[in-house]
Amino acid sequence: MTWITKSTAAPDATTIVRGLVSKARVPVGSPVYNALLETLYDEAAALDERRFDDWTAMLAEDLIYQAPIRLTRTGKTRDLDVMRTMFHFDETHESIMMRTGRLQKSAWAEDPPSRCRRFVTNVRVGECDTAGEYEVVSYLFLERSRGDSPENETATAERRDVWRDVDGAYKLARREIIVDQSVLGMSNFAVFL
Amino acid sequence: MLQHASLVLRDGTTLDDLVMRDTNEVSLRVMTDEELYHHEMERIFSKTWLLLGHESEIPKAGDFIVRDMAEDNVIVARDRDGSVNVSLNVCPHRGMRVCLGEAGNKPIHQCIYHGWAFRPNGDFIGAPVEKEKMHGNNVDKATLNLKKARVHLYGGLIFATWNVDGPSFDEYLGDIKYYMDQLFCRTDNGLELLGPPQRFVLPCNWKVPGEQSGSDGFHTLTLHRSLMEGGIMGGTAETIYDQAPGMYGVDVSCEQGHSLRCLEAEKTFKMFADVPFEGKSTRERLELLTPPGITREMIPQLFRNLSEDQVEQLATIPPQVGGMFPNILIAFIFAPRTDGGSSGALSLHTYVPKGPDKVEFINYIFAEKDAPEEMKRDMLQNAIWNTGTSGMIEQDDADVWPVIMKNARGAVSKGITLKYQALHGHERPDGWKGEGLLYPGFTKDDTQWNWWMAYYNLMAKA
Repeated sequence: MTWITKSTAAPDATTIVRGLVSKARVPVGSPVYNALLETLYDEAAALDERRFDDWTAMLAEDLIYQAPIRLTRTGKTRDLDVMRTMFHFDETHESIMMRTGRLQKSAWAEDPPSRCRRFVTNVRVGECDTAGEYEVVSYLFLERSRGDSPENETATAERRDVWRDVDGAYKLARREIIVDQSVLGMSNFAVFL
Repeated sequence: MLQHASLVLRDGTTLDDLVMRDTNEVSLRVMTDEELYHHEMERIFSKTWLLLGHESEIPKAGDFIVRDMAEDNVIVARDRDGSVNVSLNVCPHRGMRVCLGEAGNKPIHQCIYHGWAFRPNGDFIGAPVEKEKMHGNNVDKATLNLKKARVHLYGGLIFATWNVDGPSFDEYLGDIKYYMDQLFCRTDNGLELLGPPQRFVLPCNWKVPGEQSGSDGFHTLTLHRSLMEGGIMGGTAETIYDQAPGMYGVDVSCEQGHSLRCLEAEKTFKMFADVPFEGKSTRERLELLTPPGITREMIPQLFRNLSEDQVEQLATIPPQVGGMFPNILIAFIFAPRTDGGSSGALSLHTYVPKGPDKVEFINYIFAEKDAPEEMKRDMLQNAIWNTGTSGMIEQDDADVWPVIMKNARGAVSKGITLKYQALHGHERPDGWKGEGLLYPGFTKDDTQWNWWMAYYNLMAKA
């Protein structure tokens, strides 16, 4: 998997990378696939239930967690739409700890908290070159209810993850969140994807 | 005696009923009113200069970006002669968008509907099947150009206006230019955008974030108290209101409604430079604490591009946050990192109206072009962590603004007034070099009231 970050406004070939890169598929229903699927469900539950300590315990120290922006493009560049030069999230383990730490204090954006439901589907798994690491691609559908508004804010995204087997438990080492909107309909990302 | 304005809404409400100049109040109704919104589109957004992006987004001939001047979609394109052009993205034939992509390179923009074609400067080239003259039998081709806006580049920022004969950009900027130059025109090669902007839509009237961009410093203490809790602005959670970090400085403003908050580098951000500045030269101060985005190597550039007085201010009491009327927010801030470093965050937003109850928040993130790659990377993260979509500072703003607009709908609530009565009054601090309306001391409502006066003055003119 490529994780390139260049500080330039100019799009390049890295803007096309999507989906599963690994050729060594881990088949649906196999023990590893099932364990990773369970991990994704557990992660979604931890975030939906705002158990941030449980969530951050699932994160590797060398975490890279990014959400590149999308652009609407045409012609020869029509598929070069994932802009890995600018992000909605551009996080490390430390910055995630800073964000979750803030949520315990005066973070009005999530106090009162939004009520979230994360639906995780279309999970595909492959083996990485490094033993014990797995590339996990999933679709995410986030429904977010805020305050007394009867209309939920929503977001859909593809997540390209690397999960690492650490003593029998999987830790998230990489996550790239490819959101589908070029203009987000969600008024902030005070929640994690 | 105050001159009364000509604007009257259908129910008889006048502009003076909405913006109360004698008591410094504004009716909450303005934060949602649809009729007023249509007047704003004509009297403000069709008249004043609007920010559309940065030159570094379109470096080569044919490069284009598509942006919005309020609800009017425009093509911002560089032509072969190097000029930056802004044209309405509406085909004069049948009203289709001519350019459907958001960014790219095209020597010719051809409408996908009937094929009318235009140059990057908006000039009409022709319609297909030339011999049949599908653009009309007796029509001069020049009348079929895309509608062109007037363009001005300032520090690489691309501004445009439909008001072709209106005030020049310098007249629009006024006395604030002296201070803005310290942010946008201070280095040899200028700023560059680190990537296309973040974009998201809030269910809120454009004036809610707009008036805050008139340098509302006071909200930081309460809405952004997590900054103090995290130690980012100095002090602790218990001492926020006693010490009021970041509240004392000099707010500068002008009658055009722009403003900046200038904060003493040594006082406000003690955690970076716990060294007194007294008796130190401008250059020594710059060496101790470089302004956000500037490296020590770039210090000589500051002296080349700014006056000595401007550099002295930048070294001592730099402008850090503020805005330009009607819809620009500037945050050029010192931003500490969890790993102990600090290279600053340079963010700039536009709040683009999308109807009386919607605003698009566009977040542009900059670095100096000459900054090392590592520093740019650092500044990108700083800006993303603090501002825009997921920014820990601004996610709280995004939570407040829609609620204010919602309140403005209530039959009783809309009669509530927004109060701008904590006023300092213009006062020139000793030894202050710049011009403009100056408010030293604790940040008050003066600059935001100037924002509303700029609003009033434009809305009063048909």
